[in-house]
Amino acid sequence: MITLAAIQTSMRGDNALPLRPAAQVMNLERLGSIHQSRLSFMRSLVRRIMRERWQITPVRFELDAEGYGHVVYEIKAPQGLYSFVLFSSYLSPEARNDRVIATQWDLTMALVAGQVDDIYLEKLRQNVPKQEAGRVDARVFVLSRANRSARNFDYVVDQLAKGEQPDIQQIAKVGYLYRTTAVYGSGKLGMADWEKVRSHYQDFARPFAAEMFVCLMLRNFSLVQAEHIARQRTPDTFQPMRPEIKRYFGIGNSTGLGMAPYLVNHPLLINRWVEMRELALARVRALGDISPRILLQLNELIARCAQHTRETHTEDQWQTENNRRTLRDLDALSTQLQEPLHDWDRLIEWSEAHCSLQGQEMLTSILLELYPALVDDLEDYFCAEEFLDLDPLMPLQTLKSVIETRYAWALDTDFSAEGARDTCWYRSEEKMEPRLGSIIDAQARKKQMALGVGYAVRRCYDHLCAYIEQNPDHNTARFMVARPKLRGIVRRIQSMNRCIYGDIQANLLDRNVLPMHLLRCKLAFFGVSKFDPRSRLWVRNTMFQGAPLLEDIGNRFGDDWFMPLAPQQ
Amino acid sequence: MNISMNELKAALRRCFEASGYFVGNYEDAANMILWLEKHGLNGLKELEHALPFIDEDSSKPLSSVIYEDSTSAIIDSHGRSALNCIAAAVDLVHAKALESGIATVTVHNCHNRMFVLKALTDCGRRGISVAAYWQNGDQNMTEYTAAIKAGERYPSYSEATTCLSASPEDKQALTIICSSRVNLSTTLNHRNTRLLDAEQVEINKEHSVNQGIEISPALWAEINRIGAAVLVENSDRSRADAGGH
Repeated sequence: MITLAAIQTSMRGDNALPLRPAAQVMNLERLGSIHQSRLSFMRSLVRRIMRERWQITPVRFELDAEGYGHVVYEIKAPQGLYSFVLFSSYLSPEARNDRVIATQWDLTMALVAGQVDDIYLEKLRQNVPKQEAGRVDARVFVLSRANRSARNFDYVVDQLAKGEQPDIQQIAKVGYLYRTTAVYGSGKLGMADWEKVRSHYQDFARPFAAEMFVCLMLRNFSLVQAEHIARQRTPDTFQPMRPEIKRYFGIGNSTGLGMAPYLVNHPLLINRWVEMRELALARVRALGDISPRILLQLNELIARCAQHTRETHTEDQWQTENNRRTLRDLDALSTQLQEPLHDWDRLIEWSEAHCSLQGQEMLTSILLELYPALVDDLEDYFCAEEFLDLDPLMPLQTLKSVIETRYAWALDTDFSAEGARDTCWYRSEEKMEPRLGSIIDAQARKKQMALGVGYAVRRCYDHLCAYIEQNPDHNTARFMVARPKLRGIVRRIQSMNRCIYGDIQANLLDRNVLPMHLLRCKLAFFGVSKFDPRSRLWVRNTMFQGAPLLEDIGNRFGDDWFMPLAPQQ
Repeated sequence: MNISMNELKAALRRCFEASGYFVGNYEDAANMILWLEKHGLNGLKELEHALPFIDEDSSKPLSSVIYEDSTSAIIDSHGRSALNCIAAAVDLVHAKALESGIATVTVHNCHNRMFVLKALTDCGRRGISVAAYWQNGDQNMTEYTAAIKAGERYPSYSEATTCLSASPEDKQALTIICSSRVNLSTTLNHRNTRLLDAEQVEINKEHSVNQGIEISPALWAEINRIGAAVLVENSDRSRADAGGH
């Protein structure tokens, strides 16, 4: 088991591993090109569940023949007992809406600490189906809802009722029965704060572990419900779904702009996620033994990634082109591997010279997949204390030099150029959801959120240079008394300077900014696949496709559901 | 009603942003209030006192250093709330203490000085000891003090109502002592002192983490009403800016 001290010495000092530089890694387009990996949160969660053999049992299963009603599962994990409570209601097709502003859903659910008795179940029934319009208490730590993929759901039920299996080709196009449209945690709507989850519910004390678990339980329920309805409809002909087909069903997800500000507002956390991923890659580069077995596995994984990409369906032209390019990259990679391979650095350098960013980052995920022993123990270090502390003693000349080195990308941006500050991010009255507008909209401009870190750094630098002219010997504390409006950005600069990777390097105010990169980056850390952009501002994707089923817990587990493939019919 | 700490922090940030607080400062203000409330020190009550005046500070001059040497400084906050000026004063005494071993900063004309506790706690967490003292009230003046040791997470706090009158120059003053060499601790010399030691402050925090925060519906509504000014009203355009689901 690696320790924090070992991680620190691997990243800093004369014994540091060869980490990729911040200017390369924190480029927004590259961050938007990363793929799921064995460090993704879904993978980590499933590893934990399988290794610790969590006991997940339905203790109430009160569904009618149409699948409406409620179910409660009890989850016995090593450090606690929890309940997953789900309500299933009829929803007319016209009321089915994936937007965050919807007010009704097919399924609503909650993850709760401890056992749920009748009184508490009733309390949940009064509030959980209302989602944002309801209130819960600090026993609840995740709330979510989901809508049916109606065509797929009805088709699967019909097939099972007839005693037939669903057609794989059809599932490959839409690999889920339900789409979740929001997963809330961290104290929203009266729920337990992250501070409580982290300190009291150790089984979920990793970023987004509880939220991912709810999605896994939803995926399980979607399959249980489809079988339940089919069985009730025609008990004589009903056949359960084959396990390998079940495993190929994930859970759908729609993600919009709500996720984007998170990455800017949690820079220390995002830096930590990137540090762990990059440290894993550096460990592979420096320590990964290249044996015939590893080469065989590498070629298998490349073929699997290519097939997975071929099985990814999207109508979006931009994503289609990205996928095609990734396929060409993987093909070229296979050809390159016909040459003798002696070290990973050469292969990575080759990919940087010949592959797209998506192809390069696919190779990164593949390399991590090859070496569980070098990678998996980093999963315990994805939390970060998020203190943006000011260093009051730092001389202003040092602060200036920090900006010049760590934020060269911001100083190199011409913010007076046409379009460089045309975008503004603001919150709408509708559930306070973020929006991406133009400065032409006076309201949006006036009320914009402070997400333009690069521009704020530029302005700070200009003020700082002018101040130093007058007060060359002052320190940061004295500067802050004189220029308190810069306190936020100065402490961010100083705090991010203490990190290896620091801030995302992009002008988020640019007219041509692609928020999709921010969404995709976070979703890749979650571990989703099958990106299907529906506009430049929101994306559909699939979670937990290929993951083990609840009934697989306790059986042998190879942790090999990276880039899952359609099963053979 | 009961809310989570995260809900309170987010609502307070919007409230202060809408009141003209600048980036970095509205987060500080929200954190100062949350910190007091979370640790059983009545942050929401303090906020109720401050709320009617929070948008007035935008028209007041910024704090100015009126005296300074290597171990001390005097700052005039020009009647501002500690919510938007005290963190910089604590930074200054922190920097001087790191350079000189021990330092003092006195802040004049500052309201809501109770909010200094969050900034003091940040110093303790970062390995430096700090103490503060202030008075309040005309007749039967109340004295307050708080201190934290280097490397600690929780300060001690005490207050006592006396039969003394406050002198005009002390009425809105706050003295902060900071040391990188000595661990400072403070106690009031009064038999009616109400003392919360660091252990009790930690117990209060545990309770808030477990149960969330109790707040009056009226205050919660008022915080959200003020904060609503940062939201853009619904329109076809704003819906289109969500990506056209």
